[in-house]
Amino acid sequence: MASCKATDAVYHVELPPAGKKLRELFYCSHMVHSHIACFYALAAPDFVMGPTSDPAQRNILGVISKVGLQVGGEVIKHRAYAQSIQAAIAGKATHPVGGVPGGMSKPITEEQRKDFEEKAKSCVEFSKFSLKLFNDVVLSNKDYLNIITGNVYTMKSYYMGLVDSKNKVNFYEGEVRVVDPDGKEVVKFKPSQYLEYIAEHTEPWTYLKFPFLKKVGWKGFTEGKDSGVYRVSPLARLNAADGMATPLAQAEYEKMYKTLGGKPVHATLVFHWARLVELLYASERLLELCQDKEITDPKVRTVPTAIPDEGVGIVEAPRGTLIHHYQTDKNGIVTKVNLIVATAHNYPAMQMSIKKAAQGLIKKGTAASEGLLNMVEMAFRAYDPCMACATHTLPGQMPLEIVIYDSKGEVKERLSRNLVGSN
Amino acid sequence: MILGLGNPILSDDGVGNRVAQELEAKLAQRQDVTVVESSLSGLSLIDLLAGYDKAIIVDAIQTAEGNVGQIYRLTSDAFNNTRHVSSPHDVNFATALELGNKLGIAMPKQIVIYAIEVDDVSTFGEEFTPKVKEAIPECVKTIIKELNGNHHA
Repeated sequence: MASCKATDAVYHVELPPAGKKLRELFYCSHMVHSHIACFYALAAPDFVMGPTSDPAQRNILGVISKVGLQVGGEVIKHRAYAQSIQAAIAGKATHPVGGVPGGMSKPITEEQRKDFEEKAKSCVEFSKFSLKLFNDVVLSNKDYLNIITGNVYTMKSYYMGLVDSKNKVNFYEGEVRVVDPDGKEVVKFKPSQYLEYIAEHTEPWTYLKFPFLKKVGWKGFTEGKDSGVYRVSPLARLNAADGMATPLAQAEYEKMYKTLGGKPVHATLVFHWARLVELLYASERLLELCQDKEITDPKVRTVPTAIPDEGVGIVEAPRGTLIHHYQTDKNGIVTKVNLIVATAHNYPAMQMSIKKAAQGLIKKGTAASEGLLNMVEMAFRAYDPCMACATHTLPGQMPLEIVIYDSKGEVKERLSRNLVGSN
Repeated sequence: MILGLGNPILSDDGVGNRVAQELEAKLAQRQDVTVVESSLSGLSLIDLLAGYDKAIIVDAIQTAEGNVGQIYRLTSDAFNNTRHVSSPHDVNFATALELGNKLGIAMPKQIVIYAIEVDDVSTFGEEFTPKVKEAIPECVKTIIKELNGNHHA
């Protein structure tokens, strides 16, 4: 979708209202299936089974065995609903082909609209159930709440997210808003202005760059107001916004911040809670759009007439702000591309989160264990990172190594998993 | 079902998709076989495989000792390592299969995987490296033999 919007900007074309709404409907479906998979497959196992439980059980199968087969069936069903909506609108859920410069390739029929509406209603109910599950299993467990809010998984940073004209979270369009670690707005900019506010630092030991806020500056891997490190993510979006644009999600947003003592929240594991609030918003917004009178309007595209040259498109991907910037020749052939994906935005923060978790969890006398590795990994997985997207490599496993040094710098213990070609 | 998996714009990674395309053309008259090509993985495989008695999956593979172009015939047990995630945002093949079975979804009773050893899965492109290109017709022929009951383990 960021690509679609960047291409619209390259061709200087405005979409007709139905085209915009259809894109947003499609995009809310995308958020629904992605957030469901992320929560149930990646986050829930840590909390339902326990962060140090046997890895053979600490997965979606373990979750299902504990919460019931019916829940598993509902997970699969609602993911399939969301993906079927995407496929009906744009050909495929993954690698969709329905976006064109100026809009969408085809409208939807009334029959499709009715089908989507029923599926959206079901998604709203399932979202409410998922939040209740999180409340019953995680928030009601004092140990888990202590883990979530503890210092080990807390990091004070700036936060970035797309907001609408009322500063409410919007996945598809708006301006990019940045708030400081105290929650105060520091800037709000249009997509075309991103290079005025974001720069990228490099390190020789990694292909991936480290975006930071230009006006604050790169101060190294440090947190706080004087560091240009910022975060994107469901929690970042909620921190950067003044609320949610739909009523049920707004109520959950308020409950979350009330429970955690106000805004902004810096606890990295709260990304998972925020993700469920967003799941509810995406489902409600999906339903709103399905019930919009204009959604079946056949005019879903404005054919471009301008000479293409350059454009920026920004959306909120499930993991955070996604920037696509293209330059083309006068025939529309791309000559330069810059992408900043959510995992890249979060790369500095991920480094710091992992280090903080490792340093906070490994104490003198603590036995190194698989459970410990998992608790460190939780700091990383909360970001729902896609290193493959960020670097175009996919190792096929999740390598992880913890090296414990003594005060003289000598290796005392090395705990590792899935390392390829390690010493 | 014959399911070709891969990314068709990442050079050799798309070999599963190409094999599926060629099989679709050759098997157009067969009512008992559905050929699908997809770039999905993890939980989405449950949706794709549900309702079929048997599935033949075709995909690219890279192993420590393999020769590029080599074709392996595997069963789903071969991927039954741990059920931990192998990607930060999806479940692995074994987990997806077991989840489908556990939820009472009509998953195929027999799953065979034809995996082609590939070379380049990181260059953007729609062409294959030479030995992978040579393996495609061989893989197609072998799968058709299997469909006709002529597979020898």
